[in-house]
Amino acid sequence: MVESEVVFRVKRYRPESGGRPTFQEYTIPYRSDMVVLDGLNYIKDHVDPTLTFRWSCRMGICGSCGADVNGQPRLTCGTYIRDVHKGAVTVEPLSNFPILKDLVVDFDDFLNKLASVTPYIVRKDWGDLTKEYVQYPEDVEAYRQQSLCINCMLCYAACPVFGSSPEFVGPAASALALRYNRDTRDQGADARLARLNTKTGIWECTFVGECSVVCPKDVDPAAAIQTLKFLATMRHMRRLLMPGASSR
Amino acid sequence: MTGREYPWKRRPGWWLRNRRYLGFQLREAGGVVCALYGLVLLNMLIQLREGESAYTAFLDLLRTPPVLYLNLVLFALVVWHALTWFMLIGKAQPIQFTRQPLPWKVVFGVNVLLWLGVSGAVVYLIFGGI
Amino acid sequence: MERTSFDIVVVGGGAAGLRAAIAAAESDPDLTIALVSKVYPMRSHTVSAEGGTAAVLRDYDSFELHALDTIKGSDFLADQDAVEFFVARCPEEIIRLEHWGCPWSRDEDGRVSQRAFGGMSVKRTVYAADKVGFHILHTLFQTSMKYDRIHRFDEYFVTSLIVDAGACTGVVALNLRGGSMVAIQGKATILATGGCGRVYEFTTNGFIKTGDGMALAYRAGVPLKDMEMVQFHPTCLPGTGILITEAARGEGGYLINKDGERYMQRYLPGKMELGPRDILSRAMVQEMKEGRAFEGPYGLYLGLDLRHLGAKKINERIPMVRELAEKYMGLDPVHEPIPVRPGQHYIMGGVSTNLKGETTLPGLYAVGETACVSINGANRLGSNSLSECLVFGAACGHAAVEFAKRRSTYPRGAAAREALKREEARVFDGLLGRERGKETVAGIRIEMQQLMERDVGIFREESALSDACGMLGKLRDRFASVGLADKDRVFNTELTAVLELDFMLDITMTIAHSARNRHESRGAHSRTDFPQRDDANYLKHTLAFQTDGPPRIDYVPVTITKWQPVERKY
Ligand SMILES: Cc1cc2nc3c(=O)[nH]c(=O)nc-3n(C[C@H](O)[C@H](O)[C@H](O)COP(=O)(O)OP(=O)(O)OC[C@H]3O[C@@H](n4cnc5c(N)ncnc54)[C@H](O)[C@@H]3O)c2cc1C
Repeated sequence: MVESEVVFRVKRYRPESGGRPTFQEYTIPYRSDMVVLDGLNYIKDHVDPTLTFRWSCRMGICGSCGADVNGQPRLTCGTYIRDVHKGAVTVEPLSNFPILKDLVVDFDDFLNKLASVTPYIVRKDWGDLTKEYVQYPEDVEAYRQQSLCINCMLCYAACPVFGSSPEFVGPAASALALRYNRDTRDQGADARLARLNTKTGIWECTFVGECSVVCPKDVDPAAAIQTLKFLATMRHMRRLLMPGASSR
Repeated sequence: MTGREYPWKRRPGWWLRNRRYLGFQLREAGGVVCALYGLVLLNMLIQLREGESAYTAFLDLLRTPPVLYLNLVLFALVVWHALTWFMLIGKAQPIQFTRQPLPWKVVFGVNVLLWLGVSGAVVYLIFGGI
Repeated sequence: MERTSFDIVVVGGGAAGLRAAIAAAESDPDLTIALVSKVYPMRSHTVSAEGGTAAVLRDYDSFELHALDTIKGSDFLADQDAVEFFVARCPEEIIRLEHWGCPWSRDEDGRVSQRAFGGMSVKRTVYAADKVGFHILHTLFQTSMKYDRIHRFDEYFVTSLIVDAGACTGVVALNLRGGSMVAIQGKATILATGGCGRVYEFTTNGFIKTGDGMALAYRAGVPLKDMEMVQFHPTCLPGTGILITEAARGEGGYLINKDGERYMQRYLPGKMELGPRDILSRAMVQEMKEGRAFEGPYGLYLGLDLRHLGAKKINERIPMVRELAEKYMGLDPVHEPIPVRPGQHYIMGGVSTNLKGETTLPGLYAVGETACVSINGANRLGSNSLSECLVFGAACGHAAVEFAKRRSTYPRGAAAREALKREEARVFDGLLGRERGKETVAGIRIEMQQLMERDVGIFREESALSDACGMLGKLRDRFASVGLADKDRVFNTELTAVLELDFMLDITMTIAHSARNRHESRGAHSRTDFPQRDDANYLKHTLAFQTDGPPRIDYVPVTITKWQPVERKY
């Protein structure tokens, strides 16, 4: 089923040789049902075993294989070559992150940010551990969209604010904070809003909206952040007007 | 021997990378323009206090073609600023009557209509009809 | 200096590893836990599980029934004490996950929903739409962030176990980013490294599922149990092997051949599409042989027809099925049947453990798909695996804590230093030093995968199996001359691929030899030359031990409590 050939231009960076990232071109056989990841794997297996990239599930759920493809952050396993092909397929490491090697970037910083928004259920009292908490389908629906984040980092790669101020908490971590705040089982909303209401929090967002455009799971982090701005403002007002009132 | 990370630096022309970034930059530029135009209006008040001749000179300046063209560009930017914000309102603060929040297009449409309405009213008040 | 001595070392950040780590962290605030994973935990392949996880939660159901379904599904090779232990603890684990925030789908009354699944006689499978593994994994991972005492080693690839004075005292790992080796010591070590699907060519498993933990234990002298028991899932997308969950049939989907016939009526009229996977996969192969399959660019396939379910139900219950079919097959299951064929999916076998996850090596525990307790016997029922990870993850975490507490002092540093030196020599000087020659890692891997697919697949027989055993030996020899092009230490994925292939070559040997030695057909192990189940001779678990040559095969009896083996009829 080989139909023709396709040119891959891949950005390479070899940490142990130093220097700046450079582009390398590979011409490989092409089938119309190939995704970009198939091309990278073809190169790895048959042309150049030194090419380095992360991947695992190849079904768009593990979030490992993000890269900038022809200038846009995408999951390489879910991007058909036929949809992006413009003479050549240019693959670069995700923007806005330091490069470890070739297409592998360092996103450890995200995990610290995620931890900083208390990404788990907080309760004063856990109640009866043998019974489920009652939650109606619409309660689940309220946070379902934000809970679909696969931590693929495409939104960070798309966010120019994060690109210039890396301490910004960023789209995915904010969306996940909202996910827990909207969960009827949770009682930790106040602390999360307090965290997000800091210098590195949601107010850095200037609503470019590109995070939601590139999100492969339709999490819409841009909207989540705006909602959080509203909630954080309400919290602030409440505290101004009713200083003594205990917050939820 | 272990390697070094290659640090990220944002390129100066990043906002030319796609249309949406460009649109965003223009929207932000539109904001700056609004602020600058405020200064122009402020200046107009100053000229008015200076006396009639200063004020007419200023108005004459506003009527010269370069300034008119500039106004056209600024007007376009302001319109763009307003429209893009209207597009975002539905997302920024989802409005919900039923289980599903209103689609952004509806919120956008309502805002545009309101805007046209208010603008029309202002035109009517000042010029007494078009 | 980074800490390198812990009470508990957990290898693996999937459902099993995370559950074990949290169990250990919760049981004692003074314990320190290392969580070592070759990928960031949320990338673990648990993430791809779609359909659901089993537990008895309703009045119409009972532990008896769940146990019986599981045992019958296992073709009576499951240990019945383990199954009883398991079914009794599934509910609390599911509820605990609910308390931790897992977005289980709900009924109108606000309770956790349950759906039908293959081989389960009632609706018993809890789900979160069809992204169950994803939600379980992220819920566990995020919950694990609560505990400072869980110290993560993300992207550390374990290359060997440290064994000192007859006990396991930690692991040696390659720090991918740093490009260096470290010894991570623990009073107790838990292997939760998942399955080994990538030894086959056509599999639902991700790239990282290379059976590392099984090989690590095997090399330390621990036997691998029932390795011939490999599950093939009937509904995978041709070409990629991406899974279409059993939930698609649980929600009412049909399997059809090219005549549009629901062919399962000829094989399993009582259960139809909701039969156990081994039977469904064999029926598919039969349909293909008899010329009733469709033909496509990637060979023969059958149809999974969801059209009668309608868009609403599909979107609500199995949205990911639609997403995957649209993305990877370019068709909408609302309007067209999905092409499917059987593919490797799961391994029932693994590191031999008891109920607490203990192996024969003191201080070494195993849990999850990498372990074999065994509750799955010769065929796992869909949705029992995630529950297994949770139930035995918790049990194993607690057992490891007890063990660690009995050891008052940390393990000897000398043994760790020695192991570290040995591994540095083997990996950096040995493997990395090899010059590139005729053999490449990809070349041998592909040959191995094709061989397993052809000779140790759904149907097996003596001549193919003995060929496979011989060929695998030859591949092992050829592997010795695989050279590397990438000489860097930092993030060398060619090097990790070599290490993984090394592990996989050990594992394929145990699979092929175990299969060759079992002269019967039971569950997923189907021998055309021995088509009957043979309880007189083979109602027992296979154990494969490492030797200098091919594995030594031994057997241990199956534990029977209440359910005497009878013919497996549905
Ligand atoms: C597509 C698919 C769908 C499935 N659907 C279901 C379902 O609906 N219901 C169900 O019950 N089961 C299902 N299963 C099975 C189930 O998902 C798995 O058996 C289970 O998730 C295994 O979990 P685990 O924790 O044992 O391993 P994994 O999740 O595979 O985790 C293994 C961990 O070990 C680490 N690791 C491995 N090797 C090393 C090493 N050398 N060094 C360091 N770390 C290492 C990895 O990084 C990873 O973190 C499905 C499986 C697949 C493939």
